[in-house]
Amino acid sequence: MSASKILIVDDEPTIVRLLDMSLKSDGYTTCTASSGEEALAVFEKQSPDIVVTDIKMPGMDGLELLKKIKDLDPDKEVIIVTGHGDIDSTITALQYGASDFINKPVRDEALAIALERAESKIRIREQLAAYTQNLEEKVAEATVEIRRRSNFQRLLIHSSHDAIVAFDRDWQIVVYNPEAARIFSKRARDVLNKMTIEDLYPPQLAAHFKKEAKNGTDDREDIPWKEMVLETRDKKQIPVRYATSVLHEKKEFMGIVNFFQDLTEIKRLERELIQSERMAAIGQTVSGLAHYVKNILIGLKGGSYVVNVGFQNDNMEKIKTGWQTIQKNIERVANLTQDMLTYSKERSPEVALCSPDEIVSEVKDLISDFAESNDIEIVTQCEPDLGQMWLDPGTVHRSLLNLVNNAIDACLQEEDPDRRFKVEIRTRKNEDGAAVFEVEDNGCGMDEETKTKLFTPMFSSKGGKGTGLGLLVTKKLVEEHRGTIDIDTRLGYGSVFTVTLPERPETARDQNDK
Amino acid sequence: MGKKILVVDDDPDVRSFVLTVLEENQYTPMVACDGVEGLEVIQKEMPDLVILDVLMPRGSGIRLYRHLKTDDALKAIPVIMFTGIALRSFLKSQKVLEAFKGEKIPEPDIYLEKPVEPQELVDAIRKKLD
Repeated sequence: MSASKILIVDDEPTIVRLLDMSLKSDGYTTCTASSGEEALAVFEKQSPDIVVTDIKMPGMDGLELLKKIKDLDPDKEVIIVTGHGDIDSTITALQYGASDFINKPVRDEALAIALERAESKIRIREQLAAYTQNLEEKVAEATVEIRRRSNFQRLLIHSSHDAIVAFDRDWQIVVYNPEAARIFSKRARDVLNKMTIEDLYPPQLAAHFKKEAKNGTDDREDIPWKEMVLETRDKKQIPVRYATSVLHEKKEFMGIVNFFQDLTEIKRLERELIQSERMAAIGQTVSGLAHYVKNILIGLKGGSYVVNVGFQNDNMEKIKTGWQTIQKNIERVANLTQDMLTYSKERSPEVALCSPDEIVSEVKDLISDFAESNDIEIVTQCEPDLGQMWLDPGTVHRSLLNLVNNAIDACLQEEDPDRRFKVEIRTRKNEDGAAVFEVEDNGCGMDEETKTKLFTPMFSSKGGKGTGLGLLVTKKLVEEHRGTIDIDTRLGYGSVFTVTLPERPETARDQNDK
Repeated sequence: MGKKILVVDDDPDVRSFVLTVLEENQYTPMVACDGVEGLEVIQKEMPDLVILDVLMPRGSGIRLYRHLKTDDALKAIPVIMFTGIALRSFLKSQKVLEAFKGEKIPEPDIYLEKPVEPQELVDAIRKKLD
């Protein structure tokens, strides 16, 4: 604060001059007047911070001047100079709001202290004013902000696509947005601050949330999304997904908030999606099958043509050849039908005590002629013998036959003219005592893409010569046996298929019990 | 003695069918089970016509066809493609191969999609040979 401006008022010019000199030398700015009237005029013109006035003056005296100045500006400080023992005037001056008194004759120290006090009063008042004004501004700002935020939150809750319902500690409904009104088919004005949780929620759900509220102790406990079918009080069934926040303050229960999402539309879309996927799968299946069936038809037509020619020419050889073709294709239809049935029906393994190694040699016998005619060696490696095991012999047989046939096809598709093709069938027990069957070939192998598509329905890498069902059926049989099927393959070098089947004696007993 | 016709097909049923059709129409049939064997027979026997499957193990029909059409000694032999593969797919594979190898191969003289009636096959053969 810059040095104060002081107005000195006294009817004695000497005193005025003395005080004026003294205060100037202390660094104050001064102005002077020799009467009350003059003082008022100077005051209005110069607006001093502090007035030092003699009390006794002709005309307007010090007290009247004090009163007028305080009327003009209550913040100005007025120091009254009085004679000794003038108690009545002193009291009046105090009533008028004088800030200090000094006795005549005016001593420098007394004046200095009075001025300092007056200045500090002014300073405090100024600071207070600044602070108060600042505070008012801050409050105004905060009010705007709070209003804005609360509006924002209200809008947020109002326009949320989730239904939001909140309860206070007495389970009164205090938040209930339009989406909530839609789901629960009750108007906000009938619900807000009128209903409790039991009035809105089905009894079980209300009880559930009340229980959740008791459990919580933290500031806020979020209970993650769950799904349920909400039965509203007007008996509507609505599939919803809901989340809950239990609110606590200082470990005390404050209320809970529920968020509901109506899943009706999503469920409908899901159903449509599943339906369209099913249609697509059927489409794929039908076109894959049509291709395969066409090939069987070609075989049957060709075979019957050859048989006819045989009859016409009385050529037994032709009849035999044609008949073989026909029989082979009848067999293909039979296999296809069986594969389709196996694939489409749930089936539990028919477990019996059987010898896996015997099944391996049966399979080998079945395909050895065909393999030999294509220069493919079939090797079996069954040492040590697995003995008798509780397995479904049908699963073992079909799986192995499928895998060995695939292995032979893989050899036929490989174009390396120098390679000696070999398919090896190995059996062993793993550490868990499960039977492990490995079928390895050194045929064409597979790239990653083919490998990932292996178990896709109707996927075949054999052109029209595969149904695309073989591996799928194998996988299904193996999984129904609670086993696994693994593939290790390298394009151009061959593949190993590993089927692991755990023993299932309990299944055999179940079947016997039935 | 009828003209020599080679059937290259890995499916024994198709071979016996085509063989019978050829015999019934007084041609001299020959058979091969795959592309590699097919080329051997062609070089040895120089048939008047080749009936060629597309998808076969060990040297596909596509490879054998391209070989025939780029070998000066063999390119005059007419070829009937006889296959379960749709013509569209076959032509597409040819286009890809042409772009890849940078050589243009004439399209097959006749392309028959299985199944084929015996008479259709005979008509196709006559068209090329008579």
